[in-house]
Amino acid sequence: MVGHYLKTTALALALGGWATGAMAADPSLDLVEPLAEYKLYVAENTAKLVEDTTAFTDAVKAGDVEKAKSLFAPTRTSYEKIEPIAELFSDLDVSIDARADDYEQAEQDPDFTGFHRIEYGLWEQGSTEGLAEYADKLLADVKELDARINGLTFPPEVVVGGAAVLMEEVAATKISGEEDRYSRTDLWDFDANFEGAEKIYELLRPLIADDEADFTAKVDGNFAAVDEVLEKYRSADGGFVSYEELTDTDRNALSAKVNTLAEDLATLRGKLGLG
Amino acid sequence: MNDQGRLSTTRRTLLRQIGLGALGGTIAGSIGIHARAQDAKTAPQVVDAPPGHAETAAQHVPFHGRHQAGILTPRPASGIFAAFDVVVASLDDFERMLRLLTERAAFLTQGGEVPARDPKLPPADSGLLGPVIAPDNLTITLGLGASLFDRHDWLAGLKPARLQRMVQFPNDALDPALCHGDLSLQFCANLPDTNIHALRDIVKNLSEFLVLRWMIEGSVPPVPPAPDGSTPSARNFLGFRDGSANPDANDAALMERVVWTHGPDEPEWAHGGSYQAVRVIRNFVERWDRAPLAEQERIFGRTKMTGAPLDAPRASEYDVPDYAADPDGATTPPDSHIRLANPRTPKSERNLMLRRPFNYSRGVLRNGQLDQGLLFIAYQADLEAGFIAVQNQLNGEPLEEYIKPVGGGYFFALPGAAVGDYLGASLVNAARRS
Amino acid sequence: MTSPSKGIYLAIAGAAVLAVAGGAAFWYATQRNAGTQTAADQLVTVNATTCEPNAITVPGGRRSFEIVNASDRPIEWEILNGVMVVAERENIAPGFRSTLEVQLAPGEYAITCGLLSNPRGTLTVTPSDEAAAAASEVTLRKFLGPLSEYRVYLVMQGNAAVKAAEALRDAITANDLEAAREAWHQARLPYRRIEPLAYRFSDLEERIDARAAYLAGREQDPAFIGYHRIEYGLFAENRTEGLAPFADALVADLTELAARLKQAPLDPGLLIEIPGESALQIAQGQIPQGENLYAGNDLQDLAASLEGIGKLAGLLRQVVAGVDPALDKVIEQDMQAAEAHLAAIAAEAHPTYGDVPKAARDALAADLTRLSESLRKLQPAIGMN
Repeated sequence: MVGHYLKTTALALALGGWATGAMAADPSLDLVEPLAEYKLYVAENTAKLVEDTTAFTDAVKAGDVEKAKSLFAPTRTSYEKIEPIAELFSDLDVSIDARADDYEQAEQDPDFTGFHRIEYGLWEQGSTEGLAEYADKLLADVKELDARINGLTFPPEVVVGGAAVLMEEVAATKISGEEDRYSRTDLWDFDANFEGAEKIYELLRPLIADDEADFTAKVDGNFAAVDEVLEKYRSADGGFVSYEELTDTDRNALSAKVNTLAEDLATLRGKLGLG
Repeated sequence: MNDQGRLSTTRRTLLRQIGLGALGGTIAGSIGIHARAQDAKTAPQVVDAPPGHAETAAQHVPFHGRHQAGILTPRPASGIFAAFDVVVASLDDFERMLRLLTERAAFLTQGGEVPARDPKLPPADSGLLGPVIAPDNLTITLGLGASLFDRHDWLAGLKPARLQRMVQFPNDALDPALCHGDLSLQFCANLPDTNIHALRDIVKNLSEFLVLRWMIEGSVPPVPPAPDGSTPSARNFLGFRDGSANPDANDAALMERVVWTHGPDEPEWAHGGSYQAVRVIRNFVERWDRAPLAEQERIFGRTKMTGAPLDAPRASEYDVPDYAADPDGATTPPDSHIRLANPRTPKSERNLMLRRPFNYSRGVLRNGQLDQGLLFIAYQADLEAGFIAVQNQLNGEPLEEYIKPVGGGYFFALPGAAVGDYLGASLVNAARRS
Repeated sequence: MTSPSKGIYLAIAGAAVLAVAGGAAFWYATQRNAGTQTAADQLVTVNATTCEPNAITVPGGRRSFEIVNASDRPIEWEILNGVMVVAERENIAPGFRSTLEVQLAPGEYAITCGLLSNPRGTLTVTPSDEAAAAASEVTLRKFLGPLSEYRVYLVMQGNAAVKAAEALRDAITANDLEAAREAWHQARLPYRRIEPLAYRFSDLEERIDARAAYLAGREQDPAFIGYHRIEYGLFAENRTEGLAPFADALVADLTELAARLKQAPLDPGLLIEIPGESALQIAQGQIPQGENLYAGNDLQDLAASLEGIGKLAGLLRQVVAGVDPALDKVIEQDMQAAEAHLAAIAAEAHPTYGDVPKAARDALAADLTRLSESLRKLQPAIGMN
């Protein structure tokens, strides 16, 4: 029993300060600050998600199709930014963000709920009829998510690995334009996924910048390149135009950057001793 | 878990991979080590890897040379053709991409050990070939599409004279998801896994520059060699031998004329390269299998089993049909595939090309029919005189009832790279000068 | 064209040596080989409606799963602990396979099988030496989550303390005695929650939480400022006049405290130390004597303190659970006992803390002492001497 805590050099060093040059491959106490900052970032976003979802579902329940449509994409961004954490709660991830093709009967499936079910109603059916129950459930789910996330101790590897997870998410299901298939507001989600990944990277960057100048320069460059492409698709209201306006050239550019970011950000865990 | 069994199985696999199974077994057995496990486990287990061949695994094709490998190289059993969109912002980017691509292709085709990395990081290699990569006859052939030249002004004026976007022929039903591309890579190897490994390596290492647009995997059935060492042309999925009339790739002078791009109207940098015409040609195999044999043979103009011309059914596939003796096509119909494609006239000598196709099988279509066909790949010095002219001659042929081209594209296979140089260096240098 | 590469030569030469050398070398070679090529521990085939197998049992520890998508849609495969995703592989295309390696503690898990509407399978992880060893190994990594979470708590409660003090100041400035009294009650709570660490900034502690009893001039001492000076004004002198400068100073000091807490270096030793110490202080100080002498609302403060200790204890229990489950259980029980006892006393509706009988105070103090002793055992279990 007595020997437990001696098993790990890193812990012994961190606590006792016996020697310098702890194994670089083990995690360091320096991670505490970015991990905490990230939780604060997530907490801000879930608070905003509750606020925005309240307005969105109010519009749905008031039968105001146009207003609901205009609030759909901006409301989702708070969710998309924090997806690595949000999707830890599988029941809520499913009821909030599942897509029709996750279900046997697709759009007609009684279990199809959440943002995309309401999106389907608003855009495909052009009406809020029958959406009230989905709106109530969505708001309740989002509040529940907020409460659960506030009580959660974030697993460090999920936070650090989250940057790459967001990029994999974009590469696998966003670049193909299948996420917001009825509203074509995919670029909003893109942007939010990138912002969420960049936030994690920015928080961790001070811990890796010293001896990894090539790495950080490359990642910085790729995030900047993504921003540059997305900026072209900004709409007048600060949002984004339809996914259908994305040119093949720009889609390819995004795809290449996303995959390269995914490759590079996948090494963050290893670099920070959380492999 | 049975550790004993697991160890000995692994050991046997290790030995067999390097062709020393019998030797190792004898020696280990004779000194009494693991004798019991050895006896109990000699019989292969169901999930053992199928026995490979050390000799073919070690085959390698030199990467460097005046021309790229994978064109005149005898075609091995497996191929992948992959077309990419290229994301480069500048000539410098383009050069970085070509250098990296060259580095990866040179490594993969020559084989070697995968570098070890800290296990906390994603591994450097997919690992699907294990810790040591055997070359396995792999070639990787790089081509560029017209769209790449058209899009970048720093490549202006450097496009090979006949490089163009493939246009629809009358029988085509082109699927945009299977057409064109800025860049092509042809992977050929003895085993499909070697190609898949190479493709994954490229996709991983060049993600910054290359976005996969479409790909087709293909194969050709191996045939045991005759006593003199020769093998016939491989059969396509219609059951006919394909490639009988190919020009002789060992005839260097002929290849200079037929395959390697030359001539004053082609940019200097492109000399020694070759136009690559690729077509994904679906075969309606169910329907074909229901067509009478005589009709099948008339449509092709060859005997199905031997490949011999119809006017000499007992001859071999390499015998040349005598169309002069059959002007009306009573024996070999004028609209048969081989007669239209190559009328064997002095004039048709201009239209020669070197075909290097694979068969593909991609599962099932919505209508329940098999999605099978020919991954047609041909190389020629002049795209217009080669594939385009021949295809125009073939338009309307009776075979069209059984085939449907659904994809493909035209590319220019770059000249080869000398040792220490990279593929496409002549193009980059030309762009820097202009 | 057929000259073998250098690597192949090496492999052949190496194998010949191995073959001659026999047992030991073989063992080494196969171990290495096994390390890179071992198949997954468990194959799971996901078809259109179920997983095959649908009920899996594996020993605890680091396990690998090879998931084969035999359905005609892309799938994700997840291991769930209740509603929490333990590990997942997403976007496995039809016909493709994907390998997932995950550290599994003994217990019952669910697995998803393709479509969300498909019934879930079960994953039973049985106890094993490997799992026990992994759980009992204390690494810095296991502290990272709890340390970060405590930092978040410090930041959020620190900010809440500033906000509450601002509300108190506003009520004082508005000369609203009743509102100011209520605001004072509320203003104490966030501070009490983070006091286990906050009190260590002694310069601020003296300004924020000074008590007349420790000052030469008692209530008239110029150093008597902060919460209790305001309390004295509102509850003993029954007025707001003259309190505004104290309220402004409190806001400023708490703002400084929040900034320092945000940057306070946290380490496992500190995290282990502070809850037990805090529980003991309360048991020996505030419970017998009371602290809010003028407002008399100590029960409210004590509840907030217990919340703060409970936060720390909960975080540490995440670390100790795998190492010493018995201690984990004891801490949980002691914590619950103290909370329940405090709630019972509060339910008796004593007008002020002074009305709480000594016997009840002693019993509560005993609870806190016991909790503190349990928390102190964390040090030998998961910390360093």
